[in-house]
Amino acid sequence: MKFSISREALLRPLTLVAGVVERRQTLPVLSNVLIEVQNEQLALTGTDLEVELIGRATPALVDEPGSVTVPARKLMDICKSLPDQSDISFSLEDGRVVLRAGRSRFTLSTLPVAEFPNIEDGQNDTTLSLPRGTLKYLIDSTSFAMAQQDVRYYLNGMLLELANHLVRTVATDGHRLAVCERSADIEMEASRKLIVPRKGVLELTRLLDGSDEPVELMLGSNHIRANTGEFTFTSKLVDGKFPDYDRVIPKGGDKVFIAERGELRQNLARTAILSNEKYRGVRLHLEENNLKVMANNPEQEEAEENVSIEYSGDALEIGFNVGYLIDVLNVLDSDRMQMTLSDANSSALMEEPGGGDARYVVMPMRL
Amino acid sequence: MRKILHADCDCFYAAVEMRDDPSLTHTPLAIGGSAERRGVIATCNYPARKFGIHSAMPTARALRLCPELKLLPPDFNKYRDVSQQIQAIFHELTPLVEPLSLDEAYLDVTEVTRFQGSATWMARWLKEEALARTGIVISVGVAPNKFLAKIASDWDKPDGLFVIPPTEMESFITDLPVRKLHGVGPATATKLDTLGIASCADLRAQPMDKLLDHFGKFGRRLHELAHGIDERPVNVSRERKSVSVETTYDRDLPHRSDCHAALKPLIEKLHERMARHGDPAIAKQFVKVRFDDFSSTTQETGARGIVDVRFHELLESAWRRGERPVRLLGVGVRLVPEQAQRQLGLFDDGEPASP
Repeated sequence: MKFSISREALLRPLTLVAGVVERRQTLPVLSNVLIEVQNEQLALTGTDLEVELIGRATPALVDEPGSVTVPARKLMDICKSLPDQSDISFSLEDGRVVLRAGRSRFTLSTLPVAEFPNIEDGQNDTTLSLPRGTLKYLIDSTSFAMAQQDVRYYLNGMLLELANHLVRTVATDGHRLAVCERSADIEMEASRKLIVPRKGVLELTRLLDGSDEPVELMLGSNHIRANTGEFTFTSKLVDGKFPDYDRVIPKGGDKVFIAERGELRQNLARTAILSNEKYRGVRLHLEENNLKVMANNPEQEEAEENVSIEYSGDALEIGFNVGYLIDVLNVLDSDRMQMTLSDANSSALMEEPGGGDARYVVMPMRL
Repeated sequence: MRKILHADCDCFYAAVEMRDDPSLTHTPLAIGGSAERRGVIATCNYPARKFGIHSAMPTARALRLCPELKLLPPDFNKYRDVSQQIQAIFHELTPLVEPLSLDEAYLDVTEVTRFQGSATWMARWLKEEALARTGIVISVGVAPNKFLAKIASDWDKPDGLFVIPPTEMESFITDLPVRKLHGVGPATATKLDTLGIASCADLRAQPMDKLLDHFGKFGRRLHELAHGIDERPVNVSRERKSVSVETTYDRDLPHRSDCHAALKPLIEKLHERMARHGDPAIAKQFVKVRFDDFSSTTQETGARGIVDVRFHELLESAWRRGERPVRLLGVGVRLVPEQAQRQLGLFDDGEPASP
């Protein structure tokens, strides 16, 4: 194997592929990236056996096709720290990869290509295409609410629901839930619900830009594959039953207020400084046209903020983890936010005034 | 000298159910998990105890002993409410209350001036108030320290009130069987027995060195208890972080299979103990193993409810760290901190919390 490529052509696919590679591995070869050069095309593959990512680039020159695996992180660190516009040449010499750029030379260890695992993917039964921007918007609007290492393993991921002309994503950690949906030009005989694991979701959104260019999705019974041309992403699916999101979306809350999103977010962020660092509880006092936000911590320090809102109705005092509220205010795609409440022990609904693509449900904290 | 009360509700869960349905009073009644789901008895009333039924007994066995046993599933919300009412009475007497479970607490009344400072009168008042306000009978022990107060509350149960005044402490301890001492389980009792120690008087006759040789650190504790020394304070602001059960075996468990077999009674005991604490929310479950070379290891995993089979998996990996005879086994759970429980959940009303 022998080829050369510009640093800029290599860096983006390499960085994304190396992102899939876990720092701590059970199998040594999983720390490596697979480099394959064929037909004037370079393909880089990284995997952790759950998520696999292939990134493609065009080499400047291919002298000899071939394939090899080298340590992913070291290769990435070297390429990153080389000067801009460097031409990098790779060659396999005596079982080692020699990398040259300008007056630099690096020799990297290799492991046999045969040891590099393929993610088991089985048959694809459905193929469909979405604008990249649509999928990215849906993921970015909801992924923050995914659980992390919850024993309810099916919450450590995102529900992707594909129905006739509709795509929906849902994420929840059991304390708050995010659901977002958009229409799309897809036809499904029967709607499909998949749970994509947390890591897969976070890697997938990094590949997507906000454009209307297509991303092709291939669905199998236990995996999903996304193809943008430059990248092929494959993830195993979480086998489990996702909670019924519709059941937990509150209906009939009678206390509805509207606030300026940015103002409320800053207000909450300041108050949060003096909330309990671990549990982050704040009290909201809802009253006519005013929302008072209060926090105190175990040191008995206190914060109080007032923000003007549009509200006429009964007063209510309710507690929340301030982080959950700020997360929603960060992703809402509108200048103003509408919040619907009923009582201090029932969930709150946050959304664009009048309702938008995305709905957010947050459970309160007991005061 | 301190004045410590130990208050203990008589067959608490059963008492609450009998209060709410007096027709249950004279029939054998138990609160616990169903036999089909391999449940255990959390509490039973005195008619049921006549059949030999006791807490931590597998429900299936209880039903064999007494086929007409009336079995009710626990209603922890109700028990928690009653427990709070009773705790409120304790707090009217003194702020120094240390709850041990839903139905049990220590009170330090040393500084209380009401009732002319008489701990006996205070105990009587607690019993009357608890009965009047909640319909629940409590037994109270009065003594100069915690370990004797606990023994005293058990002394003439049910509906007991037993006082060990400082002047009678000596004679009371002298006759006390060593099995009554806190921390003396079956293994230690057997060992004491082979040394010819049956009562605290026998224990007192032993030189401290000998006790230290045979029982290590616990030898000192035995020596102190036998002399009526227990300086543990009534601890008010203690948040329970875990609930666990462990046993040191008379003879080391030689093989892995023996360990698995020994796990079952521990798990049953744990279920019963969790029920006594009102089935609090759990974050993790763990297994503790101490090998015959005194090396210990703990293996834990995240959990939202106790999964019995998981204890066996944890034991498996813990045992592999030593692969030698086992001296002690324990099973337990780590609880969700009270602060964290203030955050309400979206699926707390029954959406799948398993596996």
